[in-house]
Amino acid sequence: MTLLSAEQKQVKQTAKDFVAKEIIPIAAKLDKAGVFHPQVLDAARESKIFAMAVPREFGGLDYDALTQALVLEEWGYGCAGVGTTLAASVLSMDSVLVAGTEAQKKMFFEPMVRGEIGSFGLTEPSAGSDAGNGKTTALKDGDEYVLNGSKCWITNGQFSTVFVIYALTDPTKGMKGLSAFIVEKGAPGFTIGTVDHKLGIRSSNTVELLFKDVRIPVSNLLGKEGEGMKIAMMTLDLARPAIASLALGIAQRALDECVKHVQQNYPDPKVAQPGQTLQFKLADMRIQIEAARELLHHTMNLRDAGLPFSVESAMTKTSCADLAMKVTTEAVQLMGAYGYTSELSKLMRDAKIMQIYEGTNQIQRLVISRAVLAPAKPAVAVQKGGN
Amino acid sequence: MSIHLTEEQALIGQSAREFAKEYLDPIAVELDHSSQYPTAVVKALADHDFLGLFLPSEFGGAEAGFVSLVEVIENLSRSSAAVASILINHSIAAYAIQRWGKADQKKAYLPALAAGKTLGAFAVFEHGPTPGVGPDALQATQQPEGWVLKGTKAFVRNAGVADLYVVLACTDPAAGGKAMAAFIIDAKASGLTVGAPFDTMGLKGCPVADLVFDNVIVPATAMLGGLTEGQAIITETLAVASIAEAAQTVGIGQAAVEHAAAYAKTRVQFGRPVSTLQAIQTLLAETATDCHLARLGLHEAALLLEQGKPFQVEAAMVQQFLARFGAKMLVDTVQVEGGFGYSEFMPLPRLFRDIAGTTLLEAPADYPDQTIATALLA
Amino acid sequence: MPKLLVCYKWVLDEQDIKVRPDDLSLDSSRAKGKISDFDRNAIEAASLLVEAQGGTVDALSYGTPAVKLSVKDVLSRGPNALKWIGDPEADKADAFVIANVLAAAIRRDGPYDLILCGEGSSDMFYQQTPARLAALLGLPCVTFVSKLSLEGDVLTATRKLGDSTEEVRVTGPAVVSVLSEIHKPRIPSLKQVLGAAKKPNEEIAVGSLGLSAEDLKPRAVRKSPRGFLMNRKNVIFKESDAAANVAKLVSSLAAEGLR
Repeated sequence: MTLLSAEQKQVKQTAKDFVAKEIIPIAAKLDKAGVFHPQVLDAARESKIFAMAVPREFGGLDYDALTQALVLEEWGYGCAGVGTTLAASVLSMDSVLVAGTEAQKKMFFEPMVRGEIGSFGLTEPSAGSDAGNGKTTALKDGDEYVLNGSKCWITNGQFSTVFVIYALTDPTKGMKGLSAFIVEKGAPGFTIGTVDHKLGIRSSNTVELLFKDVRIPVSNLLGKEGEGMKIAMMTLDLARPAIASLALGIAQRALDECVKHVQQNYPDPKVAQPGQTLQFKLADMRIQIEAARELLHHTMNLRDAGLPFSVESAMTKTSCADLAMKVTTEAVQLMGAYGYTSELSKLMRDAKIMQIYEGTNQIQRLVISRAVLAPAKPAVAVQKGGN
Repeated sequence: MSIHLTEEQALIGQSAREFAKEYLDPIAVELDHSSQYPTAVVKALADHDFLGLFLPSEFGGAEAGFVSLVEVIENLSRSSAAVASILINHSIAAYAIQRWGKADQKKAYLPALAAGKTLGAFAVFEHGPTPGVGPDALQATQQPEGWVLKGTKAFVRNAGVADLYVVLACTDPAAGGKAMAAFIIDAKASGLTVGAPFDTMGLKGCPVADLVFDNVIVPATAMLGGLTEGQAIITETLAVASIAEAAQTVGIGQAAVEHAAAYAKTRVQFGRPVSTLQAIQTLLAETATDCHLARLGLHEAALLLEQGKPFQVEAAMVQQFLARFGAKMLVDTVQVEGGFGYSEFMPLPRLFRDIAGTTLLEAPADYPDQTIATALLA
Repeated sequence: MPKLLVCYKWVLDEQDIKVRPDDLSLDSSRAKGKISDFDRNAIEAASLLVEAQGGTVDALSYGTPAVKLSVKDVLSRGPNALKWIGDPEADKADAFVIANVLAAAIRRDGPYDLILCGEGSSDMFYQQTPARLAALLGLPCVTFVSKLSLEGDVLTATRKLGDSTEEVRVTGPAVVSVLSEIHKPRIPSLKQVLGAAKKPNEEIAVGSLGLSAEDLKPRAVRKSPRGFLMNRKNVIFKESDAAANVAKLVSSLAAEGLR
């Protein structure tokens, strides 16, 4: 296991305690009802955990990337739906972190410090994996942009106070005409559409955002016109390890639940032990979880050291999400009817989205395979006319 | 369709598909939401002879055999695996009575089971490590007035809606699993109560609950098979169930792969249907292959069963295969549909939750491995 | 007791027929057979009539030797007996030949009080067989029937026309062709499926019907069937001004010849 600093260990423990007290006891109820969790937001307000990625100068906790991953793993462990709320809010912030001016950062980060949440609005029905294929437009009119269109599957949408919305400032240019904007809740013409009902992460809020002649000041443009795709990709690079962290938390939870179940039924190993099939499956789960965690922490170390981590980010997201799916499926199986009727089945449903959102694992593999196949830089200059 | 189907078996499969389109497609989503036992549909199953499918004609059954059974289960499951679960659990109770019943027991119970006047259930599991199949949570003691049953059977499907239960109980705590016996118990028996239904992930509409026996007294004639025959009844009946459940899994997988393929053809990203992407084609091809190979395997097991040949190793192999690849069929087909596929407004999430039940729920994870290895090593 | 006949065609399931994208030819190598859709309605209508008031239903089909595969399917859906004519030449048959063969078989085994057909077949949909059959047999023909009753020898039928319906009454034998609205075909129960094997079925050799070579020579010869594939042109107008997009779309469609 990566060696954590005393401070990181402390943050992890605090997150663990918070999750045990405020999230785990209500997770099953929220899942069953499919409702959001304002009570968790209230409980978390004082800790400013929703501002964990906000720089200190704006009043945030300014956690390094590894520490954020530790927190998110714990939240994923407690409930990936609630964890998704936190991850998605951090995701929305990342766009501002990447491209925002001081004034924009102040505008976006202050609500986070107050314990409010944000949303990242890129996806549209026609623009899933093909993120540049959106139809929402933001056309300039004097010193304002006029936003029209819609976004779908937007996490936190109904409960966020600040949004980063991607829209075409020049529809003729396709993804090169994409720009990013800060939009605030309550802007005239900005409404919430259908609320989605999902297989898992049911306590996270997933909605459609509708924009009808929503006027936003030019000062809300992040970066320059046409930089939207660049900002979005940088944001997602930052955000993917967050999904990996949640997924890892799910996997660890599934293993722990299995172990608890086995220990209950075999209280004294000297008297009776589970069969080797089961023992080895538990061992495999542990091996794979540890390996995935190492990759995640390594990626976070790269980011914290200011080194390139885009490919590692994709690998981390893919491996942790696939792992969560695999481990939860096996956990349900190991526990048979108990798994099927217990919270374990929630873990399995929650795990599935990890392979899909913030770039499907297929998209991640495209990124990774391009890196794998990229021409290697020759160590020695090739001599002309050789051979 | 498999090459070895007779004309009748193919027609029975076709009839089940027509039945599913007519009776199950319209209610499948609502059934999943409400978990309300579908009384009218079960009546329709009876009207089409599905409840007495393999029972002998002398007792009013259709005597259509086990290949027909799996054809029916697969075709029903393509529309609603929950309804198929009701049929499966009824069928294995009927199987046990037909297989081990004495002449008067068969005469007393099979005609009503075949006609669907009586719904059956097979109560075998007990709370315990894996949840296991016994041996000691339900005790049967011989008293002057008959057998007295005390204890609990766990996770009984069709619990609360069945009219009769085939129940496994231990007659001698000291002998454990060696002293298991089966009893036919009327659902209205005094002292028998049904626990609160479990909230299952899927297969909603087929109720699952514990049966609690508080000194339920049954006459000696209620015993099915011999005093120590319980273990054999459990092993064989669960093997029959596993074949039917494999057909259920294949039905769900088939529905999923067809839906995902149709979706992939219409979903345009990067200027072309995602069906043209090799990565998507691979997901679909693997799922279709797993589904097809499982179908071949389970048809073989059903045919062996129908011919009265040993079938349990083959049944265990299918179960083993689907334990590895069954749930993956839905993990991968949901992946094909991406964010849309994860929405409960689309069909695949229900299938995802259902297939977890058909592949992961029934048996301890190492049961098929044990059966196969034991046969190999004997 | 009325004696009814229902004629049906055994066709390839159109859902199983794929269009080869390269030359648009049809690939039916994996296509399964089925009873033509409207004919299933005719079978159901005939079966319900006799189940309600007594009588018998015979089924009759002319097709390639593959028609043998339909025997148990048809007999599980109500008819009491089946006669079928398997002829390797039948896949070339047009409505003229089909009606000649069916009429000859009916003259052989008839007369029938009522002859039912589907309005048209799922594969060719010529919609000629009922009318030609009636003409050959010298019987009245009632088409587009959506409702049917039989009392004694009086047949009452509701015909569904474009924007109206009409009720017609016919006394004595007739040929009736039905629409899909008439009845929802039954889903055979297992016992009906398994019972089909016990019902009589008889193959009639086409040569035994006394038809001449001219009677069996199709007049309409079907040449290469071709699939139809809709190809998108992938023309996208993405001006920022919606009105300009519409104008471009309209002029583009006009240029394509759409008025």
